[in-house]
Amino acid sequence: MRWHLLALGAIVVLGAAAAFGLRDAVTLDLFFTLLLYAVLGQSWNWISGYAGNISFGHAIFFGCGAYASALCVTHGLSPWLAIPAGALVAALLALVTGFPTLALRGHYFSIATIAVAALVDAFVRTQPWLGRANGFELPIQSGWAALQFPDKGPYVLLALALFAIVQLATIALERSRLGYYLRALRANHAAAASVGIDERRWKLIAFAWSATMAAAAGVLYAQYTLFVDPPSTIALAISIDIALIGVVGGIGTLWGPAAGALVYVVLAKGVALRIGGTGKGYDLVIYGAIICLIAAWKPHGIVGTVVDALRRRRGAADIPPGATGTA
Amino acid sequence: MADAGVEALTTFEQLLAGGLLAGLVFALVAVGLTLVYGVMDVVNFAHGEFLMLAMYATLGLALVGIGPLVGLPLVAIALFLFGVVIYRVFIRRLLAGPPEATVFGTFGLLVLLQGLAQSLFTGDFQSVPHPPFQGTLRLGAVALSQATLVEGIGALVLTGALFAFVEYTETGRAMRAVAEDRVAATLMGIDVQRVNALAFGIGAACVGAAGALLMLSFPVFPTAGASFALTAFVVVALGGFGSIQGALVAALLVGMLEVLGGYYLAPELKMVPVYVAYLAIVLLRPQGLLGRR
Repeated sequence: MRWHLLALGAIVVLGAAAAFGLRDAVTLDLFFTLLLYAVLGQSWNWISGYAGNISFGHAIFFGCGAYASALCVTHGLSPWLAIPAGALVAALLALVTGFPTLALRGHYFSIATIAVAALVDAFVRTQPWLGRANGFELPIQSGWAALQFPDKGPYVLLALALFAIVQLATIALERSRLGYYLRALRANHAAAASVGIDERRWKLIAFAWSATMAAAAGVLYAQYTLFVDPPSTIALAISIDIALIGVVGGIGTLWGPAAGALVYVVLAKGVALRIGGTGKGYDLVIYGAIICLIAAWKPHGIVGTVVDALRRRRGAADIPPGATGTA
Repeated sequence: MADAGVEALTTFEQLLAGGLLAGLVFALVAVGLTLVYGVMDVVNFAHGEFLMLAMYATLGLALVGIGPLVGLPLVAIALFLFGVVIYRVFIRRLLAGPPEATVFGTFGLLVLLQGLAQSLFTGDFQSVPHPPFQGTLRLGAVALSQATLVEGIGALVLTGALFAFVEYTETGRAMRAVAEDRVAATLMGIDVQRVNALAFGIGAACVGAAGALLMLSFPVFPTAGASFALTAFVVVALGGFGSIQGALVAALLVGMLEVLGGYYLAPELKMVPVYVAYLAIVLLRPQGLLGRR
């Protein structure tokens, strides 16, 4: 754990230095996106990695935060209020939708998350107070009270703070009763139930926390782009981006989502910027090829593979590959 | 008053017929998906992208003068070979990893194929020039576009053929044996890798044929297959993963719900009744309509 905290501290120090030192808007934008996706990936990792219920609808919780932000600001309220409000709505949404669906097994759960997310998307598109399909443009303001800044530096700082909180929470999760129960349920739900672990209760708790984190990221995103509509926040494509980041890095590992976000943002987006921009599909080709290669040759994800290698070097040869952190 | 009643009934019949024909096409797409799942426990998330490739292939043939219906067997064979190759070089490797490897591996394939289509063919909508079957056909009070009718009937014939193949041929029996119990099938001398490759190829051939049919009335673009595949996933889950009969029943149900939803709610809300039905059914029967627990 000491190493995890040291690594996190180093990232925070370097990130803060970058936020204050760098002026290049493109680089800062990549940093912000990287941190935001790392938070979203970790949020997904709680329910899909540690608990093992693969969700393809996680963007609705991100959307809760983004829409809370849009509603607060357009109604003259402080965007800071959107953080607790969005988190609360997201947690409630997770409890209400998770209660019936978390008991579904495997792909039946995954398809159910797609169905729930599509219904939420359809609901938003029919509600005038949620901006229908047009969404919201947030009025331009400035300063910490309005949670809006002319430069990208403070946004990177905020994203960094959120990332640090989420990583600390996940370190705590890994050593908590909740974390052990989730991994036990994931490894064998029947065996876990037979020793008295209440599957629905513990998975609902994890789902609610997971939704809360995604909502916080949503608030930050809305304040950053100042534009919120269904395709940019709650669409299936966003949910799939989040899930892919979770698995590419290594499902059920502490640093997996950050590694997955790094692959997505730096390799896919960064490389595409250099070789001719998006819209031509090169970014998709590169990203898709990376995912295929990882799936075929390093199926435990980047971090899962590293962790396995480290464990093996320490002599724990009896642990099968992938058992560490993922089981 | 009576006229209004007759009118409403005609509209309903019209919608039902449209939904049924749409459902038959979903069935052909979904049967390929559920066959692959049944045999090797893989949900091929790139299934829709295989469909998209088939649509581009049909377009390519049409541009050199081979129409969609004549091109259909060619496209189906091409997709079969493509599926077998993808299985041999990629899917087989995924099967050796943890269960989530097949999920994100096929997702990676989805992203890769969409990206390739985008860079090779641009994002433009493209249609077959001068497609056949442009008129409408009247059956009593119901008027149907000929293209939709040909698509529906074609899909029905092909789905039936696949069903007969799985049910009555030696290879089909081997597939069902592998689906039932892989280890026992191996002990009976069945080459599981060969059966897997065949099933994956046939799954791809299903969307090969579906893609050729769909080009009669739909344009192709890099994400053209995605919406069909999404519906097919719901169909397969609703029917019960791995169940071919379940997929047929669910496909017809989904086709009708979609058409009715699109008419009575709003075109952009057409999937709402489908998802509500999925959630309602799966909460009562977690294994889908005809799935095994």
